[in-house]
Parts: sequence; structure tokens; C-alpha cells
Amino acid sequence: MLRSSLQGIKVESMNHRNRTNGLSRRAVIKSAAAAAAYSLLPKFGTAESFAAEATHTLVVAAPATPQSLDHEFDVSLGTIDTVGALYDNLLEYEKIPDPQVPDALREDIAVHSDQPYNLNLKGKLAEKWEISSDGSVARFFLRPGVKSNWGNELTADDVKWTWDRKLHLTGLGPFQAGVLNITQEDQIQVEGRYVVSFHVPKPNPLLLKQMVNLSNPVYDSVKCEQVVTKDDPWAHKFLENNSAGFGPYVVSQLVRGQQAVFKARSDYYRGKPYMDTVIFKEVPTSATRLSLLQGGSVDIAQFLQPLEYTTLKKVSGVSVDAVKASFAVWVELNAKMKPFDNLKVRQAMNYALPREEILKTVFQDLADKQTGCIPDIYPDFTDKFWTYDADLDKAKSLLAEAGFKDGFKSTLSYDAGNPVQEPIAILFQTALRKIGVEIVLNKVPAATFYDFVTKREQPLIFYLDSPWVPDPGYSTQLYFNSKSYVDYSNYANSEVDDLIKSGLQTLDPTVRNETYTKAQQIVMNEAPWVFIA
Amino acid sequence: MPIKNRFNAEPTSAVWSLILKRTGYGLRYFVQFLRVYPGYAAGYVVVLTVALVAAVAPVIAPYSPVNADASVYLQPPTLAHVLGTDSTGMDVFSRVIFAPRIDLAIAVIGTLVSSIVGSSIGAWVGYFQSTTGIRSFSSNAIMRAADVLQAFPVFVFAIALVAVFGQSINSLVLAIAFVNIPIYLRLMRSQVLRIRDMRYVEAAYILGVPDWVIIGRHIVPNSIAPVLAQLSVNIGWSILLTAGLSFVGAGVRAPTPEWGSMIAMGFPNVMTGQWWPSVFPGLALAITVFGFALIGGSIEFLADPRRRRTLASGKPPLPTPA
Amino acid sequence: MVILRYIGSRLLFLIPQIVGIVLVGFILIKAVPGDPATLMLGPMASTDSIAKLRTDLGLDRPLPVQFFIYLQKLVHGDLGTSWQTTQPVLSDLRTRFPATLELVSYGLLLALLIGIPLGVLSAVRKRGIIGKIGGMYGLVAGAVPDFWLALVLVFVFYSVLHWLASPIGRIDISVVPPDTITGFYTIDSLLAGNWDALGSSVQHLLLPVVTLGLINAGPILKMTQSTMDRMLQADFSQYERLCGLPPQLITRHAFRNALPSILTIVSVLYGFLIGGAVLVEIVFSWGGAGQYAVQGVLNSDFNPVLGFVIFSALFSLVIYFLVDLAYLAIDPRIRH
Repeated sequence: MLRSSLQGIKVESMNHRNRTNGLSRRAVIKSAAAAAAYSLLPKFGTAESFAAEATHTLVVAAPATPQSLDHEFDVSLGTIDTVGALYDNLLEYEKIPDPQVPDALREDIAVHSDQPYNLNLKGKLAEKWEISSDGSVARFFLRPGVKSNWGNELTADDVKWTWDRKLHLTGLGPFQAGVLNITQEDQIQVEGRYVVSFHVPKPNPLLLKQMVNLSNPVYDSVKCEQVVTKDDPWAHKFLENNSAGFGPYVVSQLVRGQQAVFKARSDYYRGKPYMDTVIFKEVPTSATRLSLLQGGSVDIAQFLQPLEYTTLKKVSGVSVDAVKASFAVWVELNAKMKPFDNLKVRQAMNYALPREEILKTVFQDLADKQTGCIPDIYPDFTDKFWTYDADLDKAKSLLAEAGFKDGFKSTLSYDAGNPVQEPIAILFQTALRKIGVEIVLNKVPAATFYDFVTKREQPLIFYLDSPWVPDPGYSTQLYFNSKSYVDYSNYANSEVDDLIKSGLQTLDPTVRNETYTKAQQIVMNEAPWVFIA
Repeated sequence: MPIKNRFNAEPTSAVWSLILKRTGYGLRYFVQFLRVYPGYAAGYVVVLTVALVAAVAPVIAPYSPVNADASVYLQPPTLAHVLGTDSTGMDVFSRVIFAPRIDLAIAVIGTLVSSIVGSSIGAWVGYFQSTTGIRSFSSNAIMRAADVLQAFPVFVFAIALVAVFGQSINSLVLAIAFVNIPIYLRLMRSQVLRIRDMRYVEAAYILGVPDWVIIGRHIVPNSIAPVLAQLSVNIGWSILLTAGLSFVGAGVRAPTPEWGSMIAMGFPNVMTGQWWPSVFPGLALAITVFGFALIGGSIEFLADPRRRRTLASGKPPLPTPA
Repeated sequence: MVILRYIGSRLLFLIPQIVGIVLVGFILIKAVPGDPATLMLGPMASTDSIAKLRTDLGLDRPLPVQFFIYLQKLVHGDLGTSWQTTQPVLSDLRTRFPATLELVSYGLLLALLIGIPLGVLSAVRKRGIIGKIGGMYGLVAGAVPDFWLALVLVFVFYSVLHWLASPIGRIDISVVPPDTITGFYTIDSLLAGNWDALGSSVQHLLLPVVTLGLINAGPILKMTQSTMDRMLQADFSQYERLCGLPPQLITRHAFRNALPSILTIVSVLYGFLIGGAVLVEIVFSWGGAGQYAVQGVLNSDFNPVLGFVIFSALFSLVIYFLVDLAYLAIDPRIRH
């Protein structure tokens, strides 16, 4: 029952093997679904029982309902979780069983030299695709007869409108297009009713990968054009509260702060999904989500704390499985603020963190050590430049070398809404005290935390994220390119900038591997983050 | 022989003898009170113990209250950690005994500030009410302002004050002070209204004693008892408010030991079965506030002359048969 | 006639009081750091769009002007929008205020049911064990923090004993809430004959109501006890005793005379708890108005806070007014 229900729901677009460290987006699906199985089975007789079999309704306890459904401007968790269900992409990765949990399926993001373009892809909205031999044109042949939730058929115009929109708005779009070096509308051309092509100045290895990225689904431009106004030519207001896309679900009710209800589309081109209705309930406290799961009131509880998973393990009939993912948590060291403009200080901070202890206690061994600056499951990842295992003496001597023999004072900001950050902060504070560094902990309310991060005015601040395209170029571009919006640590190294750029301009896997290995070497040495998990 | 009375004698020695006499009386009554109602002694014992423990906490605490040791996290009470450890391995017992330093300090200082400020304004308002001119107008205006302040939801007000002044101990003290001022204002005002109609005040006025001397020497000392009683109860309530603020996240910064924030930090653990990080600080909190309440009750009793008289018999008064 | 004049004069004072409260709230909120425009648009917004939004919201005008704009909107029933829920504050409060009201009302009811009988009994039988318990109860209830008691109750009755299923929220997730008539789930489901919803909402009300009831019974008990005590010592009671009236009657008369003070404390508690129950609301994820306001302050979302302040102030004033009317009914002396 569970496997089929998992397949029916769009939530399985696990771009990354999901490590249930309480942080990854889809982390809990498997374990919670397993837990839900237990809770679903014996309770049919009670008032709170949940006849999921009969009504095909899935109830999810989420930390937050989507703020805005327009992913262009909203990268909050609630939005990200729903975008994949409301919209469809041109392509997707083939799925393979997870090596650790064979019942779970994961995307195959590895480099396959035997496959076209070295990728194991499957068409979604696109039936066929090709890249010209010089790598500068990608052509997509769309599937005919695909209808949007408003009844309009998918055409090449929809794809063009979607990408034009990215170029004109000031949210995520410019980044997504910029990574492909697409800056002009004429780089996207409609060549037929179902044929659209992308023209890039230099060969770009991300061309196809970007079409899989959940940030780049296709909008129903016919509907959108009907609702645009002079002040809002790209339908932002409409898309905030409604969806206009080709995905398997449509939003039927959105009460922010309480719940969001999604209904399955019977005219979805791949067939009606198994779950008729999916209800996202906002339950801000993880303990509450856990108890709702235990009581059988919800089927899926998202973002539980590691300790709560450990508790679930003890409940009979529940199996807790953990799969690797790309989500990571780290502390940004603001390179523009003293003393973190000093390389040795940054390295010292890394040596001071009691990493193993944190992994064991805060994360309950449900997380891996972050040994690199891109997710360890992505191609071209290497951990051979990792040296920062906890060593307080080394940290102290590095500080002395940097001129801070007596330590210094600083402030570490953390997210009040994320339950693992406070314990990590406290453990870090105790360890740093031993080498003379006094830090004050600053608790920031969840709703304003992201604002804090993007302002880049804090010396130390937590951040957790995952780069959505399983590509070293994309990942490094996000965080380490000095011009990137997401370079929250103010890291700036022109050599790294050049390396990243050159790696994004070739399709040769060996060249890319060399380039990104070198980039990782430099970044790891310069330690722009305190790597945690 | 010159007759020594209140108005002939040197001001300082007269005041001193007054204070000594009053204290003497007070002590006698106090001791008698405890003999008749031994239960109230518990309140004094509790508060003194808590204050003492807070004072010597650095000496008697087995561990530092902010030392996170992941190797012993979430341990149930054992010999090594008598009240167990919390989710980052900090010793609950050490934190529980360090916490009153913050909680008591904030509550006591905040309440004292509010009582002094509130009482002063209240005395002024009460004294000058219904006189003519600007004084009367301003005293009425102050009363309406106090009405408005009191109608404000206390908790939201306190959180907003902390948000304005920044999250620190000082702003907590300010918030507590602000929130409590209207209480003392009203109390003092009603007392002053009662006393200024008394004959001896009238006599002093006729003799030409300046206003502030009348207020300071006659009115205030005679109205202070209810304020003292309120003070004690208020301190207890302020501790609860501080804890509540910390529970919501607007109180002290982590990992400062404070009963409310300890309860908040332990909240998720309660659901997974580890109850000790939250339960013990709550118990300590309740016991301390209880002690203050008892003290407040005893002061209230001693301040009321009618009830004080019943102490003479040496036994609690017989209830009226009903 | 006198009564009408009295009501009239009270209503007259209502307006300036409300304005005063809004003014204080406004000043306070504007002093809290945080820029709503940036928070509303999110981090991806350009400086232009932020500036435009600030102009739209009127944030670039001087403060007194902003205040008058707010008052103007207020008169038209527009309390602004919350950037967190993206809904108008008025509609947010329409669902959340009844939630808090339901909780607080039942809680106070329970507190009255515990506090008054115990208070009367402990005043009547001062020497016995009831008297001692009464005295103790008042002190203990005032000392226990309400959020801690809520936690303990959840732990005991849910985590350990499993007597109650997931005591979180107002109603079970799988049960559809009744259509809104009053906003009280219990009343609405009764009116609709929806027994599932009734049962579920009652079950969810249990623990938080018990928490509030147990704790607030304290002040009610104390006030009842001390007032009853005074009434029983008073001349008229002594006289009744002399005349040989039965004890029941004496107690009843004394109680009738104690009612005004009890009413006072109930009104004070009612007004206080609208905002004061926020901690219990948080523990039980109640989705009430106090929680809404607290989230607003913490996240620099101003309109919910001001809206809540106005609602709760209005509510308090209405309660005090009703209580004063009740005084008129109970206490014949006031009528003159």
C-alpha cells in the first residue's frame, strides 16, 4: 500500500537521498510513512481512526503552510513542498531503489557515460530532447495533448512565457536563467507548436539539469495571460494564491497559518494520482507533529527532531529508515566582518566545533559529517580536502597565529523555529569558551530569520539549505560565486569565480571534475563556513 | 521642662525614635504572629533559602550552569546529576539553583522600581486630586492614562517592551517595572485619599507644614503597609511573568539559566518522555512564588490593626459560629 | 432614567478610552524594530518594490499622520493585513478571538465551580480542614505557572497514561469543524447536531480548560473566602445570628452581599485572560487570539498586535460595563 501511495504522490521527487536529520525536505516521507503505516493499521475502530484506504486522503503535518505559491519569490518550505505537486517539469531523472533502503526510490543523479549527455533522464512534459553537437542549442519536443488545470493545452509558448518571466522578474528567475547564461528573450525560441529551443552562447552542462530543477516548472501561459494587469504583467498576484500548471494536483483551499488542501487532477496526463486529497496542516511544534502521528491523526509528520525519530524507533510496528540527502546545515562566517575576515580565525572556528558530539547527540546519528562544500552525493564531490576534525589545541594555536591569543567576542544568531540550532549553538559556545572565544547567542524568530540571513550583517549565523540541481557547478555557483545572491558568507575569491565559470562552460566530464576539484580545494582551505552536518 | 512632642523635637531624632519604636512594636507583633500562625513561617523560610541558595550558587553548584557536555545529554536523575541533564548535557540542578539569581534579581528590582515610581506618582495624584487648577487636571489625566495602561493586555505589553529595548536583562527589568506601575499608583492613591482626610493631617496643614513634608512624614508611613503586602505578592507574580516571557522566547538569552527558559527548552523533551528538564524548574518556580505569597499574606495580616489585635490572645480567633 | 443616564455617560467615555489604548499601542508597536515592507515582500524583493510598498502602506509618512490614517481605517472596520497570514486582521481575529473566548469562558466557569463553593465553605468552616485547604489552595494556585501545569497535565494524561488522544488543537484533524455561527466549536456543533465535532472539541477542551480552571480558581477562592469572612463578621450577620436564623440562611445572605466583589474579580480575570491565556494557547497549539498577537510582536507584524489590543480592550470595557450593570441589579444602594 505504501509504495503505491508514495508513487502516486509527487512528494517523491527526491532530488537527493534524504537524510532524516530533521532538516531535509522530504526527509520524513519514508520513515513517517512507515510510522504512519503502524498508526493507520490498528486504529480503524476508534473515533480518531483514519480510513485512508477508503477515501485516499493523505494528511501531512507540516511546520508551515505555503506563504506564497509563486516560487519565483518564495523559497519557504511550504512553497517548495507544494511546487512539485502543482507544476510539472520538462524532464525528470530515472528512479532507482535507494542503496540503503531498497523500498524507497530515489533519483539517479550519477554521471552515466553510457547515456546520452551522461545523464539518466526521463521525459515528462517533453517527449524527446536533443542538444546540438556544439552544445549551444537544446531543443525540446513537447508531449501533445497535455492539459493544464485550467484546461489549456501545453504548447511551446508556455515554455517561452515561463522563461521570459524569469528574465523580467527579480526573484529566483535571474539566477536560474543566469546559470545557463540566458539573459535575453531571444535565446528562447518557439520553433513549432510543440517545439521550443534554448540557445546558449557557450556549451552549458546544466542545460538539461535545469529542466529537471523543481524551480523551473512550466506555467500555463494561456491562463496567466488572461489574468495579467498593467501593474502585474507576469501574473504574480494570481500565482501567489492559485496555480496554473500541468502538475498532478490543484490547490483547492489555502488558509495560511492553518491548512492547505490539494485535490488530484483526473485529467493529469500520467493518470490520476493515487491520493485524491492531500491536506497540509500547519502544526508549528515538532512535538505536536510527532504526537499527531503517533495518534494516527496524520499520515505524515514533517521535520521531526532527531530525538523524536529515536522515540519512534521504540514504538512497535514502526520502522525508521534514513536515506542520504543533500540538505546541510552550517554556520556562515561573514568574511566582511572582523575577525572572520582572517583565514586562520575561520579555520580555528572549524577546528573548535565539537562535530562528532553534535552528530551523536543533537542529530542522533541521523546526519553525516559535512566534509565538503557541496553535498556528498553530488557528482565531482571530494572529501580529500577535509581536515577540520575537532581539535581544540589546533584551534587555539591558529587563533594565536592570527593575533587573537586572548580570544575575542562575537554573536551567533540562530533560528528559533529550528529545534536543532539552539543545542548546536550551546554546544559550540561551550567549546569556544575553552579557547577564549566568548560568543553571545541571539535567538531570531522564525519568520524573520531568513531576512537576517540575506541582510548579511551578522558575524555568525546558521543556515541550512540544499542546492537543487545535483551539479557541482550549480552548487558552487550558488554559495561561492562572489556575485551570487545566495553567497551569504560574503565569500569572494576571483580564482574560484573563474573556476566555477569555466566549469559551467564545458560539457566534458573529466575537465569539469578537474575544475571543481580545484575549486573545492581552495574553498575548503578558506573555510567560509563552519561545516556541521 | 519643654514638652517633647512631634512638632517640638529635632526632626532627625524624632524620626529615629519613631522608627525604632515602630520597629520594636513591629517585631513583637511579628514574633507573636508566627507563634499563632506557624504556617506562615514556611514562606519566610522558603524565600530566605532561595535567596541564600542563589547567593552561594557559584560555590555549591556541582557544574557550571552553562557548560554543555554532549556526552551526558538527557540523563535521568542520578547520583552524578541529581536532577538529571537537559538536551545539551547541562546539569539541571546547577541551572535550577543558578536561575533564581536572574529571576529574583529581575523580579525584585523591577517590582521595587515600579513600587517606588508608582507610589510616588500615586501619592502625588491622591494628594492633589480635587484641588483646583493644573494640579487637579494633571492628576485626573494621570489617572486616565493609568486606566489605559491597565487595559492593555499585560503579556503583549511586556513582550513589546522587550522587543523595543532589545533582549537583555535590563529590558526585562524595565518591562516588569512598567507593567506594574499602575498597580502601585492606584494603591497609593486610594490610601492617600483615605489618610489625607484624617485630623492630624488637617492639623499639620493648618500649622503651615509644607505639602511635601506632610506627604513624606505623615501620609506615606501610614499608607505603606498595604504597599508592602502588595510588593511581596507582586514579586512572586513578576517571577511568573519573567518565566512566561522566557517561555515564549522574549526573555533571557540562551543558555542563561532561568526557570522559564528552562521549561521552554525542555518542552519538546517532555513529549518524548524526558520530563525532568521542565518539571524541576517549574517546581522551583512554584515553590518560590508560593513563599512570596505567604510573606505577602503575613504582611497583610500584620498591617491590619483589627487582625493584629486578635494575636493578643495567643490563639487564632474562633470562627463566628454560622 | 438614572440608569439610562448612567449607561449614556459610560458609553461616552468608551470612545476616548479606546482611542487612548490605540494610541499607546500604536506608539509601542512603532517602537519595535522591524520593517514590515521587507518582511512582506521577502528577501528576493528589489529595493524599488520595497520602497513602493512602503509608500502604499503609508510607512514613509510622519508618525502622527500614520496614526490618523490608522484611525480612519479603523472607523471603517479595516484593521490592516497581517503579513504572516496575508489575511486581513479582522478576518483572522474573527476565527481566533472566539477560540480564545471559548477556552477562557469554560476555564473561568470551571474556576467558578471550584472557587466559589470552596471559598464559601472555607469561610464558613474556618477551623476545619476545609478552611486550611481553602487557604492553601489559593496560595498554591497563584504560585504555579500555568504553562508548566499545562505541560505536566499533557505529560501525565497523554504521554504516560494515554487516556486522551493527541490533546493538541481545538478539534481532531480528521473531524470537520462545524460551520461558524458563534465561533464556539461546542455551541456550533450542538446547534448543528454534529455529535462527532462536539465530542472531539470537548475532548480537546478538557486539558486546557482544566489548566485554566485550576489556576484561576485560586484568586476566586481567595476573594470569595475573604469577602464571605467579612460579611459573616459584619453587623448584619451577627444580628441574624442573634435572631436565631438558620445557618443556611445566614450564609446565603452573606453570599449575596459578597457577590459584588466576586463579580469584580471575575471581570478582572476575564479581561486579563484574553491575553493572559496565551501561554496555555501555545502549549496546546490552540490557534487563539493571544497567540496571534504574540507571534505578531515577535515577528514585527504590527497589525495583528494592534488589532488584538483593540479587540481585547473593547472586550474588557464591555465586561466592566456589564459588571457595573450587574452591580446596579444586585446592590440596591448604588441605585441611589
